[in-house]
Amino acid sequence: MGSVFQLWAGYGSAFAQALVLTWKLTAISFAAGFSLGVVVAVARLFPLRPLRFVLTAYVEIFRNIPSVALLIFIVYALPDLDALIDYEPSVLLTLTLVCSAFTADYLRAGINTVDGGQVEAGLSLGMRPMAIISVVVLPQALRAVVQPMTSLLIALMLSTSLASQVPFPGRELTALVAKIANDSAAGMSAFAVAAAMYVASGLLIAWAGATLEKKVRILR
Amino acid sequence: MNRSLDNLLFGDPTPNAQAITRATNWAVAALLLALAIGIAFRFHAAGQFDAGLWEFFAWTTTWTFLAKGLLGTLASAAMAAVIALVFGLVLLVGRMSRLRLARWPSVVAIELLRGVPTLLLIYVCFLVLPSVGIKLSTYWMLTLPVGLSTAAMVAEVYRAGVLAVPRGQTAAARSLGLTEAQVFFHVVFPQALRYIVPALVAQLVIVVKDTTFGYVVTYGELMQNAKVLIANYNALVPVYLVVAVLYCLVNHAISRASQRLGRSMH
Repeated sequence: MGSVFQLWAGYGSAFAQALVLTWKLTAISFAAGFSLGVVVAVARLFPLRPLRFVLTAYVEIFRNIPSVALLIFIVYALPDLDALIDYEPSVLLTLTLVCSAFTADYLRAGINTVDGGQVEAGLSLGMRPMAIISVVVLPQALRAVVQPMTSLLIALMLSTSLASQVPFPGRELTALVAKIANDSAAGMSAFAVAAAMYVASGLLIAWAGATLEKKVRILR
Repeated sequence: MNRSLDNLLFGDPTPNAQAITRATNWAVAALLLALAIGIAFRFHAAGQFDAGLWEFFAWTTTWTFLAKGLLGTLASAAMAAVIALVFGLVLLVGRMSRLRLARWPSVVAIELLRGVPTLLLIYVCFLVLPSVGIKLSTYWMLTLPVGLSTAAMVAEVYRAGVLAVPRGQTAAARSLGLTEAQVFFHVVFPQALRYIVPALVAQLVIVVKDTTFGYVVTYGELMQNAKVLIANYNALVPVYLVVAVLYCLVNHAISRASQRLGRSMH
């Protein structure tokens, strides 16, 4: 325990910065990934076969490819195609693409929970398909997927550890632990502090998700 | 027959709407084709399609090396899956035990292993454990953290399955004189397995994805072997694309198997 306090005295501000950076990466990539995922899920409803084919391929690819392989491709292989992206945007792009694929997949399941009768009712009222999607289908689908989206947000928060694989400006939690373990013998204490921060962040997200779910749950 | 939502939304179009859909289909297809040609041109302009590349992929050593990497990935993933299934069961038994001394350590272990990135656990095995005198081979430095991390997820999947078994089953088994362990292993757990097999198979995809971190500890899995190939032959983009395709194929096959299993069990 004493070594943890000693570590905190030496690296306290570094841990605080690392936690903030972890949260920042999580928040930005979730916001972008979620928005993109909603667009993909809605676009998959359109009766355009080539578009559906491409979007299905998009979801399957980014759901199945390991995030670290994607990050390494973006950071180290894309410059060979004259597409140079900085390290931070590369990490954010990787997390966004993965998050959007999972969001689109979960939303598809959420959309399927909406009863077809509601669409027929909307059509009989003279509503256009896009109005039905945005006013009737999507709000219900979003309320149905709060729980899986919470799990996805936690998984995304843990995936920010990928940033330790590239020379990132500033260190998130995993990179900081690797640095401390390399520089000193305080690796185990550093792990304990980082683990506590990750677990606390995860529990906070789970609590927020559960509260939101209780509020928006649709009782059928 | 129930119609899908998209069919309800956009189905039964008028002849005019059908013509518009056909035209849009062609326009989207043309756009996508142009995009594909554009990407291919970019590859060509960046010198990725030069003669050396075809030579590189014509070599047996290239494919042998990638196949060895894939085998390394599967060997690590298989062992990690075994660790996850067995240790997950241990965590489940502890988590559901009435003894606080067994329950609390299990709850803490599950929360810790679920709440910490696998990569951080790999760093602990790779950087921290040697400093306290524990030295693992590169295989175990990768497989152990991946297995333990998945075990916590598996324990929760098991738990969901066990809670789904009707309570009457336990009461009936107890009234027949079975011990608590007998009730769990002969009555509850076999039934719970039926509910959770698809979710367990889905966990396999996560295990395969997590083994990608093998290159961190220089264990010879697909990503590490790809890095060695790239370092030796300087064919970055094509090798990573082949690796991506291989990962997608393996994980897609597991996902499909999981879906099929789920459907057959219903």
